Amino acid sequence: MNMSVVGKSVKRVDTLGKVTGLARYAGDLSLPGMLHAKIKRSNIAHASIKQIDVSKARALPGVKAVLTHQDVPRVLHYGSPHPRSASVTKDQYILDNKVRYWGEGVAAVAAISEEIAEEALDLIEVEYEKLPAAFTVEQALCPDAPLIHDTSPGGNLVMDPVIVTRGDIERGFAEADLIIEGEFKGGRPTPAYMEPNVCLCQWDGNGKLTVWISTQAPFMVRGVIAEVLGLPLNNVRVLVDHMGGGFGAKQDLFQNEFLCVLLARESKRPVRMELSRKETFLSGRSRHPVHVWLKQGFKKDGTITARQALLTFNSGAYGSHAPGVTGVSTASLTSLYRCENVHLEGRAVYTNTPIAGAFRGYGCVQSYYPLDIQMDEAAERLGIDPAELKLRNAVRGDDIAPSGHAVTGHGLEDCIRRGMAEVKWSEVRAQAHETSGAIRYGWGMGCEMHGSSAYPGIKEQGNAIVKMNEDGTVTLVTGTTGLGTGAHTALAQIVAEELGVKFEDVGVVHGDTDVTPWDIGAFASHTTFMGGRAAQMAAAEVKKQLLERAAERLEAAPGDLDIADGMISVKGVPGYQISVREAIAPRLGLPAAHLVGTASYHPTKSYSFAAHFVQVKVDTKTGQIEVVKVVPVHEIGRTIHPVAAAGQIEGGIQQGIGHTLTEDYVIDTTDGHSLNPSFVDYKMPLSMDMPPIHTIIIETAPNPGGPFGAKGIAEDPIIAIGPAIANAVYHAIGVRFHHYPITPEQVLDGLRKKNEAAPRPGIAA
Amino acid sequence: MKQVVAVTINGEAHELAVEPYRSLLDMLRNEAGLTGTKKGCDVGDCGACTVLLNGRPVNSCLVLALEVNGGDVVTIEGIQSGPDRLHPLQENMMKFGGSQCGFCSPGIIVMAKALLDENPNPTEDEIRFALAGNICRCTGYTKIIEAVAATAKQLSSGKEITP
Repeated sequence: MNMSVVGKSVKRVDTLGKVTGLARYAGDLSLPGMLHAKIKRSNIAHASIKQIDVSKARALPGVKAVLTHQDVPRVLHYGSPHPRSASVTKDQYILDNKVRYWGEGVAAVAAISEEIAEEALDLIEVEYEKLPAAFTVEQALCPDAPLIHDTSPGGNLVMDPVIVTRGDIERGFAEADLIIEGEFKGGRPTPAYMEPNVCLCQWDGNGKLTVWISTQAPFMVRGVIAEVLGLPLNNVRVLVDHMGGGFGAKQDLFQNEFLCVLLARESKRPVRMELSRKETFLSGRSRHPVHVWLKQGFKKDGTITARQALLTFNSGAYGSHAPGVTGVSTASLTSLYRCENVHLEGRAVYTNTPIAGAFRGYGCVQSYYPLDIQMDEAAERLGIDPAELKLRNAVRGDDIAPSGHAVTGHGLEDCIRRGMAEVKWSEVRAQAHETSGAIRYGWGMGCEMHGSSAYPGIKEQGNAIVKMNEDGTVTLVTGTTGLGTGAHTALAQIVAEELGVKFEDVGVVHGDTDVTPWDIGAFASHTTFMGGRAAQMAAAEVKKQLLERAAERLEAAPGDLDIADGMISVKGVPGYQISVREAIAPRLGLPAAHLVGTASYHPTKSYSFAAHFVQVKVDTKTGQIEVVKVVPVHEIGRTIHPVAAAGQIEGGIQQGIGHTLTEDYVIDTTDGHSLNPSFVDYKMPLSMDMPPIHTIIIETAPNPGGPFGAKGIAEDPIIAIGPAIANAVYHAIGVRFHHYPITPEQVLDGLRKKNEAAPRPGIAA
Repeated sequence: MKQVVAVTINGEAHELAVEPYRSLLDMLRNEAGLTGTKKGCDVGDCGACTVLLNGRPVNSCLVLALEVNGGDVVTIEGIQSGPDRLHPLQENMMKFGGSQCGFCSPGIIVMAKALLDENPNPTEDEIRFALAGNICRCTGYTKIIEAVAATAKQLSSGKEITP
């Protein structure tokens, strides 16, 4: 297909404001009479609140409102945005008479300045009755463990275990020539978006609430607030313009939104509440820490005969996305590498630790890290090159994907082959390793697949309105949110392409729940795939109306007309054309044409694929692992904006290198408090840590469900990089790691154990 | 009690009344209405609040407002080459894809300008070193480094560089 706008790195619609400082984020706004709010947080991980005395705080001059659990509606709510889906749990109150993790909010204050609000927090006296706590999954699963919620299906389980079975694993293992099993552990990385959570709330004289907020899911924020406060949806307006990242976590509500809303109602003033960086750690959402037991059977030729796994996720103090993450993660092990006989079980467990939630990669980071590393181990035992073994087993067209759909195309095989050729895989793997010096180099590779859209966990829906104005320009009205990915630019490109107009002639209206069509939120790598397809369909509707109008002028049938670059012409009649602007222009007696297209799209699922190839350098004296080079190959069906797509890949790799080597939000397992809630102590890869990334995007398996065949890209890049690094480390030093992050002291420890185990030279056996 | 700070911001003289404990960052955002400078951590860890103080880059959250009395401050809003002309760093950050969520972009651009003012032809390592205090969580830095390197080339050669 010949494209004029799609596939070009046009000037993004959102970046001019960002590079000039004029882009408005929710935290940049202020209103006359605005108050500042703060949350009093628990300094104990599990306790009942016996008494809470706010009299001194209320008496402090400048304090305008104080709220405790006695002052707020006691309604159990979904802390996450997809009520009535299978992905989330209903186990939170705005403020409870209990606390379940260190740092949970117990009261809130609004005052004329942040300093007075903070002073008031110190004047609030809370008397706790300490409860026995469970800080680890092991503790929480003990028969006599303290119960953290009374809504559990049993003990501290968040929900009933997820069981996925296909074929017959007993037969599969019986047919195997080689059986490998292993245990794996994943740490607690956090999204660490740059913009702390912030909201500004105002009630107008007619009882209507407006909320300016940094969220990925404004319609879900509207829905949850309305539900909890008993308001009709048209009395809650949620506005999001620019936002400083979310990476999945900003789908949830974080207590502060409700409290800000209620403080504004109580004080009859606008109230702004911005979390400190420390609070974004304490009350934020991390990836679920995980323990995975994985067993696979292989034939001599590398065919996988059976796969069995038990995945246990630490949900922290609340359920949040535990059901969704557990479901996606468990089901993900049915695929990537083909296997007909699987038995998989996933559990999620409450503990008295910070809440785990949605984070880019949504369960697939936790499942494909073990799976891919075990493939590497199997390859060595079978005497097959690891990339070759993965290629032989790679998921392919018509295989059943984790969602239950047939896979389209051969994207993963194409990624593996392209990467192998690009890095000259057999050569670099065969190079003899320097074994005398302290520095060792190694190459590894890892694979992943990830769905665009949360189907079947959530039945999703993308909506769009496209209007053509009387000068021929176009307005796309979309409820999708711009986290910083460039999604609105991609949607405008899709509209321009479909309509045959210039990209610059398409404007985008977004970020207002009163104005835009409903949207489920920006997550699950689905904005371009689903919102983009809806925009394409709405644009097609406008095109149809426009051509009907132009047909009269050109005295031709609408079907004989075509639009390109803003000109409507009769096919096969060169020079016989009018501009879009002429076609829509006001005519005698008719002030303006009303050309509006609306569309609603219910997607199922498409999968994107990637293979990451990585070179690492390991210093055997210090244990330091350095990623020297990354070659990510991604198959995404159709690239809408190459620069933005590559940017997603490179950013995902940065976060993936982070959780694999340095990032871990650490909780003291004696009392549940956080040990590193700051950017100095939570170590992310920065400019000097990041290696060169040679990004390759291929378009060999377009999905008919996406706009022009496009699929998602946001989550894919964080998944394959982890196992690629772990496998490269093994190639470099011969030490196998089954966990992340892999720290320097663990590398040294691993080398020591390996050397102890090795036969000493000169001593006869 | 509030005290008055006399300061030049982006070439304009201001007299701003602030509490003595207020940071330069809060003064810029709340008193001068310049919200382009971002607050990512408020403790000097992230670099999103970087501004030029008397020509040198600082974390404005770590500078007391009173300290800048008589000083000269340049923020992201004052980086442009002319009223309708962006600084090449701004152009290239857009063109090369160095800005995604954009929350770190003002600090990165100001820091990069400080680098190029002092060292017009930095190596890639020098660019990475200069930006080591500016956290970006979206880009993996690849496109930011490309944008800064292209700007250096563009400024010294007078020719536009394309990705």
